[in-house]
Amino acid sequence: MPEGTYCNKKPINTPEEVNFLLSDSSGTKYYEEMTRLDVDTELLVSTIEKTMKTRLKTWLEICAHCGMCADSCFLYQVNGKDPKQVPAYKIQSTLGEIVKRKGKVTNAFMRHAMEVAWAQCTCCNRCGMYCPHGIDTGIMFGYLRGLLYQQGFVPWELKIGAGMHRAYRAQMDVTDADFVETFEWMVEEYEDDYPGLTVPVDVEDADIFYTVNAREVKHYPEDLAEAAVLFHAAGENWTIASKGWEQTSLAMFAGDWAACKMQVESVYGAMERLKPKRMVGTECGHAHRATVIEGPYWAGRPDGRPPVESIHYVEWLAQALESGKLKIDPDKRIQEPVTLQDSCNYIRNHGLKKATRTIMQHIVAPGYFIEMSPNKEHNYCCGGGGGFNGIGVFRKQRNRALLTKRDQILATGAQLVIAPCHNCWDAIRDLEEEYEIGIRWSFLKPLIIKMLVVPDHMKPEE
Amino acid sequence: MFKKILFATSATRASDHAARVAFNIARAYHARLDIFHVLGVPSRGYSQVVVDIKTRERVDVDDDYMAWVQDEITTYYADYLKNGLDYDIHVAVGLPAREILRRARETEPDLILLGGSTEEEHDGVYKKTVAGTTLQKVARAARCPVLVVTRPAASFWGGISSITFGTDFSKASDKAFEFALKMALTLNCELHVFHALAITSLSSERLMSQDDIEQKIREKLRVIRARYEPRLKTLKQYTMEVWEGIPYMEIVKYARETHSDLIIMAHHSRKLETDDRAFGSNVEQVIVRAGCPVISINR
Repeated sequence: MPEGTYCNKKPINTPEEVNFLLSDSSGTKYYEEMTRLDVDTELLVSTIEKTMKTRLKTWLEICAHCGMCADSCFLYQVNGKDPKQVPAYKIQSTLGEIVKRKGKVTNAFMRHAMEVAWAQCTCCNRCGMYCPHGIDTGIMFGYLRGLLYQQGFVPWELKIGAGMHRAYRAQMDVTDADFVETFEWMVEEYEDDYPGLTVPVDVEDADIFYTVNAREVKHYPEDLAEAAVLFHAAGENWTIASKGWEQTSLAMFAGDWAACKMQVESVYGAMERLKPKRMVGTECGHAHRATVIEGPYWAGRPDGRPPVESIHYVEWLAQALESGKLKIDPDKRIQEPVTLQDSCNYIRNHGLKKATRTIMQHIVAPGYFIEMSPNKEHNYCCGGGGGFNGIGVFRKQRNRALLTKRDQILATGAQLVIAPCHNCWDAIRDLEEEYEIGIRWSFLKPLIIKMLVVPDHMKPEE
Repeated sequence: MFKKILFATSATRASDHAARVAFNIARAYHARLDIFHVLGVPSRGYSQVVVDIKTRERVDVDDDYMAWVQDEITTYYADYLKNGLDYDIHVAVGLPAREILRRARETEPDLILLGGSTEEEHDGVYKKTVAGTTLQKVARAARCPVLVVTRPAASFWGGISSITFGTDFSKASDKAFEFALKMALTLNCELHVFHALAITSLSSERLMSQDDIEQKIREKLRVIRARYEPRLKTLKQYTMEVWEGIPYMEIVKYARETHSDLIIMAHHSRKLETDDRAFGSNVEQVIVRAGCPVISINR
């Protein structure tokens, strides 16, 4: 059977198609159909010819098989140092083979490649730092995912996730109207406590254009209110967009390149329409990677940058604390051992380690902040990156992957983990559920709000 | 009095006492009952997996599953649903407090009814992720009165002949008073206005002398009179009282002594705290201890 009803090469584009795929609980039929899905060798070869550029070709060829990448990979370490988990092996035996065999690979091979691409690499890019040639296996796996997606070999949840972006321009079924409505609702709920709180929608020429993760809208809308409270407290001139508000990209995890472009262009469209001074994204790692780091290339922007200066929430927060726009009550700082999860996507891959440390200096009483080891750009992935968290069929592998982070956290002795990244936050939440080590975890916003010196204009009556 | 009631239920034993009251009220006032259940909490990142609150299993939620849970609830409450009750059963996925508030925003009920804590039944990991309990959050943000029934002893809603209104003289308490007065007028029953003077534990810096205490009680009584008596005069029977002690204990004792069938209080504290102390603890303590239903009002 070349193409299945559920599992096929065709991307899903409409809410109806999303719902249809969702109706196949856990993707049972989807994966069953996948075992019979044909590999379109011609398409595979022509795609490689068109898209595989010099960098990747060189990387595939110059790998000296020295094994320096082995120990850098937390999945290698946590899986009993299995040679099959060495990054160089993982990519050579998948992408390398596809290229070598000129696309003549079997269905079984592609399904195996799918497992390696989504369950043996989180695209954390740590190995790239340790390779003497600078080969970044994470980048190559990102590319391999694109080839697999095109052939229909993609985990069920990510086919849906990419479809969500195509249908809703958001990673979940949240419409533009839902987004604005929810934001307004949250502001209503908080305005008694913070007089004057508003959510400016589609204001042109604002200083800040704020973008979010659809999960905040769907499940944790308090996060929206907290963002509004902090912008308000800092006296910022900010806005949200009624269109192009979603910063994340499950399409990137899925390897759906076309959807990546569609998604990021909707955000850039909002930037061009509203002409803000800069964009601030929420506490999410991959959203930053998608919209700020990789997005400009997907959208074909010649300068490799988004239309306006775009920063991560931790950068805005660090600046607001340093400049005194936000003031912390020293007595309310964190006074218990606390550690910080460095998100691969904006710490290792975008160098923002100083911003998060500045924040720690402001919000943790001296002596209570304990770094994980290793940390900063050398930190390990949370264990759930690159889409790993959400893929049911690879849950066992994902749970094992959490062990690295569990042990890193345990070694700090801290019971509170600050995780300014949705993916890390989820993984750490799940690791507590799996391994019960007695920790709490938090984004920055709720912590800051608790210790904020509320400016007079924002104090409630009574 | 009530036309539309939102009954948020765990559809487990923790909600049984509340269910009895919910169905009682709906019948007594010919109100429409919106039975609302949050079946699970989202888990596993962006995936469709939720942890089912009742079975604790991780499930992929789809329309079939939702329909199945809806059927389960219909069966669970089958006895109550007979004889032409005007009701609707609605199932959702999400964090319970947030979804209850979302539903309330959509349907604009004039009363939200909550059951007791499911803490003992389920101490799921999600509870640690967002501060506070369902009750705290709903009571804090709801735009209508919230009626909470936790104990079997409190699960009776019959001919209400006596209401205790506990005040701390806050703005929210004024709102709660309006509501208490309206109820007392509608039901033609007694209203007992009560304030408890907080005598903190022995560890406090300075112990109050008995003279001080009595002086304060007199002061507070004067405040009660000035604040509420002119409006209370529209009622046939009312009393005003100030006792000293631990506020929530005194309220519960007082309600027992006045044979109150209902306690009304404001849930006014602003900030939600992470730990269990703090926020509205008086109301919450009253809710767990009282021998009658408690209504919390916030705005």
